[in-house]
Amino acid sequence: MAGLRLSKITIALLLLLIACHVGPSMAVLFNQLPKTLIVTATTKSGDVLHAGEDKFTVTWALNTSLPSGADANYKTVKVLLCYAPISQHDRKWRKSNNDLKKDKTCQFTVVKQDYSATGKHEYTVARDIPTASYFVRAYALDASDTKVAFGQTTDANKTVNIFEVVGITGRTTGIFVSAIVFSAFSGLALAFFYVVENKKKK
Amino acid sequence: MAKKSLEVEAEVEVEDEGDAAQFKMPVDSDHKATEFWLFSFAKPHMRAFHLSWFSFFCCFVSSFAAPPLLPVIRDNLSLTTTDIGNAGIASVSGAVFARLAMGTACDLVGPRLASASLILITTPAVYCSSLIDSATGFLLVRFFTGFSLATFVSTQFWMSSMFSPPKVGLANGVAGGWGNMGGGATQLIMPLVYELIKKIGSTNFIAWRIAFFIPGVMQTCSAIAVLMFGQDMPDGNYNKLHKAGEKHKDNFSEVFKHAVTNYRGWILALTYGYCFGVELTIDNIIAQYFYDRFGVNISKAGTIAASFGLENIVSRPGGGLFSDYLSKFFGMRGRLWGLWVVQTLGGIFCVILGRTNSLAGSIVVLLLFSLFCQAACGLTFGVVPFVSRRSLGLISGMGGGGGNVGAVLTQLIFFHNSKYSTEDGIFYMGIMILVCTLPIALIHFPQWGGMLCGPKPGYTPEDYYQSEWSHHEQQKGYHTASLRFAENSVREGGRSARGSGHSKHTVPVETSPTDV
Repeated sequence: MAGLRLSKITIALLLLLIACHVGPSMAVLFNQLPKTLIVTATTKSGDVLHAGEDKFTVTWALNTSLPSGADANYKTVKVLLCYAPISQHDRKWRKSNNDLKKDKTCQFTVVKQDYSATGKHEYTVARDIPTASYFVRAYALDASDTKVAFGQTTDANKTVNIFEVVGITGRTTGIFVSAIVFSAFSGLALAFFYVVENKKKK
Repeated sequence: MAKKSLEVEAEVEVEDEGDAAQFKMPVDSDHKATEFWLFSFAKPHMRAFHLSWFSFFCCFVSSFAAPPLLPVIRDNLSLTTTDIGNAGIASVSGAVFARLAMGTACDLVGPRLASASLILITTPAVYCSSLIDSATGFLLVRFFTGFSLATFVSTQFWMSSMFSPPKVGLANGVAGGWGNMGGGATQLIMPLVYELIKKIGSTNFIAWRIAFFIPGVMQTCSAIAVLMFGQDMPDGNYNKLHKAGEKHKDNFSEVFKHAVTNYRGWILALTYGYCFGVELTIDNIIAQYFYDRFGVNISKAGTIAASFGLENIVSRPGGGLFSDYLSKFFGMRGRLWGLWVVQTLGGIFCVILGRTNSLAGSIVVLLLFSLFCQAACGLTFGVVPFVSRRSLGLISGMGGGGGNVGAVLTQLIFFHNSKYSTEDGIFYMGIMILVCTLPIALIHFPQWGGMLCGPKPGYTPEDYYQSEWSHHEQQKGYHTASLRFAENSVREGGRSARGSGHSKHTVPVETSPTDV
């Protein structure tokens, strides 16, 4: 009798465990997200921004034509820099996927803050943003950090309002000089040993 | 003139008598070591071993320094999958011909100068990797850095000059395996150095560039060490031996002819492409695979990728030992069967890897795949030394070059563009391994047999190795080294052959002429 009770408890615990896992890991699909936020940025189509130097301001607001209470469960807003299709071409690591867990379109966070019906943020392009074409997207997240709505600066085909970022090259003067010096040293070392070998021959 | 040559002869003889006592290790009549002391630096044999495997290791570290850092480099340079694939192909294609040329260079100037020169000439490409800013630059630096992989040939050549036949397989296997291990070590070293530099305060796009100085400095230092402390042969360096008239130079066109007309050399070149070539391909793609497919970070992806290459510390030497072990009971037929079975198992695990969807499962399958793939490399070079005696250097070069061709082909077909997903590419590569390993069944040594058929009755090893020399050359006695080798390879006939005395001269391997 005790054994049967124990196994019933075990099964109940297991089911609870499974239930806890099933809940939050249900896939959030992009095409089912409502586009309730209106997002604009001060960048214009074709603008070129330099990483680490240039800034732009992004503004987001809830679409006023929606019934009141539509944003009841929005707790945080996360604004991201996203790759335009031209920068995703032949680059599997930037691929868009309807399953937002696997989606790699938006890889850089501009800002993440508490939700309010309108908001704006001035952003200096970070030094680790690579050279590519981008647009801006904002997600509204609920209390469990799940995406529940979005808005973006471009259209559904991601063709308008695309701007460019030019990333830093990473080639500092120090690196340049060191590379030349070390390479020259290798060549000289080889020449030195050849001279020594030839002297030995004679 | 006659008096002078007599003096030189006398000098050499006196040297011989004193020399054997000069060596810390026991040596045979050629002054080649008859033992292998792994943890010793005894001059000149073990010292040559450590210098050659370590410098080869450094070349592997440099040649595969980019793959673990690709997640950063591809964004800095705005690379596409095609750009990355092209550079991966370039990294292994330079060495195809460089390996052939290295064999000749070793013959002319000795392994010490040949390998150190190549290493120092390619080091600027490693340093200049920190300066690239386009896909073309990336391709060029990987191409020129990859030339250094030709030091495989000088490693094997140097070990064959320093170690006696009973130990040469082990020396070659450990030197080759520990060198190849560099392809794994780099996947640990580079992310570690990169993260460290980032912590000190650099941005990612600067940090990876600084990281490349580590393999560059390692390479420069190892080449200088080879020049300062290395020695071509037990008795001295080439220029000294050439002066004393001790080395006989063979005819290059004859050596070339006997290498390219031996079909076994070509088959082994093909099959080496599907163990070593696959190993190089995996070195290039596996870190990115784990990073992109399973979402692990750069350091974790590097660690997993490293485990593949680091298994070389035991798997390739293990393959060589296994080949020697099979030969004890089944002779050359055992070596060939062992090679086919092990390489086929490698292919099977590759197929499974392409179809494994979990991270933990992929790691386990990767480890098994690595074991069999690298052991097959060791088993291949258990057969190569017997294909030809006269053209040993060039046959080794062909095999080595074939390995790189295999790497070029698999990357070109499966990992070059976005046609196949990486997991599908791995799956199909496994199938290609299975198919391209089958030709081993076609290798037949008339004196020892092959996988499917027995030996030709009455045909001896002497007949086989003597057939590489014309009657004219045999009259001059140029073929005596080949005859000695034939005597020592009696064991390749297996247990039955030893008993029935197939060879005309049944000289047991253990007894080497010790009269000095």
